[in-house]
Amino acid sequence: MSQLVIKSLSKAYKSFKVFDGLNLEASAGEIVVIFGGSGTGKTILLRLIAGVEEPSSGTIEIGGHDVADIAPEHRGVGMAFQNFALFPHMSASENIATPLRAAGAADDKVMAGVAKVAKLLKIDHVLNHSPRELSNGQKQRTALARALAASPQILLLDDPLRNVDAKLRFEMRLELPRLLRQSGATVLYVTQDYKEAMALADRIAVLANGKFVQTATPEDIYTKPATLGVARLFGDPSINTGETVIASDSSGAHVVLGGARVSVASSYASHAGRAVTFGVRPEAVELGGAEGLEAEVVAVTPLNERVVLLLQTASGWEFLASLPATAKVPDAGAKIRAGFAEHGTHIFDRQTGERLHG
Amino acid sequence: MAELVLNRVDKIYRSRKGDVHAVQALDLTVKPGEIVALLGSSGCGKTSTLRMIAGFEDVTNGSITLGAKPIHTLAPAQRGVAMAFEAYSLYPPLTIAENMSFALKSSKLPQAEQDSRVKAMAEMLEISDILNRYPSSVSGGQQQRASLGRALVRDAGLYLLDEPMGQLEPQLRAVLRGRIKHYLREHKCTTILVTHDQTEANALADRIAVMEGGVLQQYATPAELKVCPANLFTGTFIGEPPMNVFAADVKTSADAVSFMVDGGTTLSYPAADMSAALRERLATTPKISLGIRPYALHLGDGPVKGKVMACQWLGDQTHVAVDVGGRTVVSVSQERVSRAPGSDVSLNVAARDLHLFDPKSGMAIAHGGTLA
Repeated sequence: MSQLVIKSLSKAYKSFKVFDGLNLEASAGEIVVIFGGSGTGKTILLRLIAGVEEPSSGTIEIGGHDVADIAPEHRGVGMAFQNFALFPHMSASENIATPLRAAGAADDKVMAGVAKVAKLLKIDHVLNHSPRELSNGQKQRTALARALAASPQILLLDDPLRNVDAKLRFEMRLELPRLLRQSGATVLYVTQDYKEAMALADRIAVLANGKFVQTATPEDIYTKPATLGVARLFGDPSINTGETVIASDSSGAHVVLGGARVSVASSYASHAGRAVTFGVRPEAVELGGAEGLEAEVVAVTPLNERVVLLLQTASGWEFLASLPATAKVPDAGAKIRAGFAEHGTHIFDRQTGERLHG
Repeated sequence: MAELVLNRVDKIYRSRKGDVHAVQALDLTVKPGEIVALLGSSGCGKTSTLRMIAGFEDVTNGSITLGAKPIHTLAPAQRGVAMAFEAYSLYPPLTIAENMSFALKSSKLPQAEQDSRVKAMAEMLEISDILNRYPSSVSGGQQQRASLGRALVRDAGLYLLDEPMGQLEPQLRAVLRGRIKHYLREHKCTTILVTHDQTEANALADRIAVMEGGVLQQYATPAELKVCPANLFTGTFIGEPPMNVFAADVKTSADAVSFMVDGGTTLSYPAADMSAALRERLATTPKISLGIRPYALHLGDGPVKGKVMACQWLGDQTHVAVDVGGRTVVSVSQERVSRAPGSDVSLNVAARDLHLFDPKSGMAIAHGGTLA
């Protein structure tokens, strides 16, 4: 059963529409990542669910009940923010205890609740410290512990790893899914970092232009992006694109890219004549073959354990290839031929941006 | 084309609360046409170093020479240095185009040449469409590109770029990195960039100066930093995800070298995998810190046994966290890997991928079976 159901949810401030007609369901214990750029309304969506703001229209149901008339503190919702927002005058322990005290729990229940969640998050040794004595990582765990303390049905996490250093962000990215599962809560997790979204989510809901443009598993989002916009948001470096037209002749379906013919799956023949954006992920660009698009290596830029090559065709089309660092990497200035693996090739309608099914 | 040499440079900020030794006896040589990154966390001294080279800060001790000419006593404008600022520092009353051509005005270049340079630079940085707008009306990423363009259109002996790409739109960053690197190479620009982002440093720089606490930790190519980190700091700082580090007891015999890792795992290698000099050293080194990069820790058969805690596919790589004797270790694969949380796995690491450090000093003892 769906723990959280959002139906036709809209929010506008005067004439400014943040989003319009959002639908989303999350089942009990599921981690749903709300992904989108800044200004897309991700935080506002969380605030509506928490009840600290009211929707313009639409409904929110938690555990099967419409919560429109239920006050924030009675919705069974916990929330943690990107800037920690701990009370500076309280110890970590008292910070974590606030939702339990607000619910009127007896002292021994409060202490037991704090101890349990602190142990889970490995901050039991700093419970007596004040926030300024905590490291950023400990602050972040304390904020998370506070959100979890009252065993909420729904946990809202607003970009909680945004302001922590890269190392801790990485550690938490690996650790959070397990912690969140142990809490049993249904989680809505907001982030702008696609790797975080893919790492944490059971499903990702991509918010853009006031709509969820795609809600799907990380695998489907990456391998079957609904639109060019979604394809661009996932992947580093971002997907390469070229404007072209699908053509079909006796030797099969193809497009012309960078002045040369590039074959595409024969099933695209039914789209012949359609103006499209051809997309190929940098890791699907294959070098070293005798066939393929002729290009020159403009620059070689190592990217962690991979190497990114900036390539350019004689006609001036630029595209990137991303190879494992262990691969044979050509030098800047080299002439190569590039092939495009089917698994990372996507073709989008140029007008609507929607992915064509080949 | 000129060589830049920093010789025993100190920067000490004096205050009533006590002196802060921000940069300590820094020696650094940047060859003509070389691209060098100063890399470190905030407070490591990288920005103080850049500002001393630019002339915005005095040098407390030591000297800075450009083409054998001391420049640390000159006013900033006389140093022949072009700089792109982290905070952009564009002139608000001037358009983006006017900002970019500002320093060319005094260059005596023909107007047509000035215009064509600005136009080409704007195209490279994809800001042609905003050339007639004012800084306040464009995004942070666009202002940053304009500031970078303003520095790069100039003819300077040295280009200083302070966090030049931190605000760039992620979809543009990879292409711009490639174009900028190509431009700096083509024009043989001697360049120092300051960044806290190792991705940017690795992508652009010929050599990277890793700084921490005002002290240069290592100055080497990106590949050398990865393969031969000079100390535990560089080893764990460079590389994403960070290197796994274990405390280990060493045991050597005639035909094998073993590392007993905390948590109970033993890694054993035939003596032939280690150089004779290293074996000799290890015979008198009972305790070491053992570093293994996540990419070198392979799932499959092997002596390291654990339980999968997380398995995360990120599109072009898979990160697997494994609980080994109560400790989390991370293995990364370029392939797509599926392992259910809770399942048992074995991991292996080749001798050539081991990094050994002195646990007390943190200094490297060996990389890949030979002494550091």
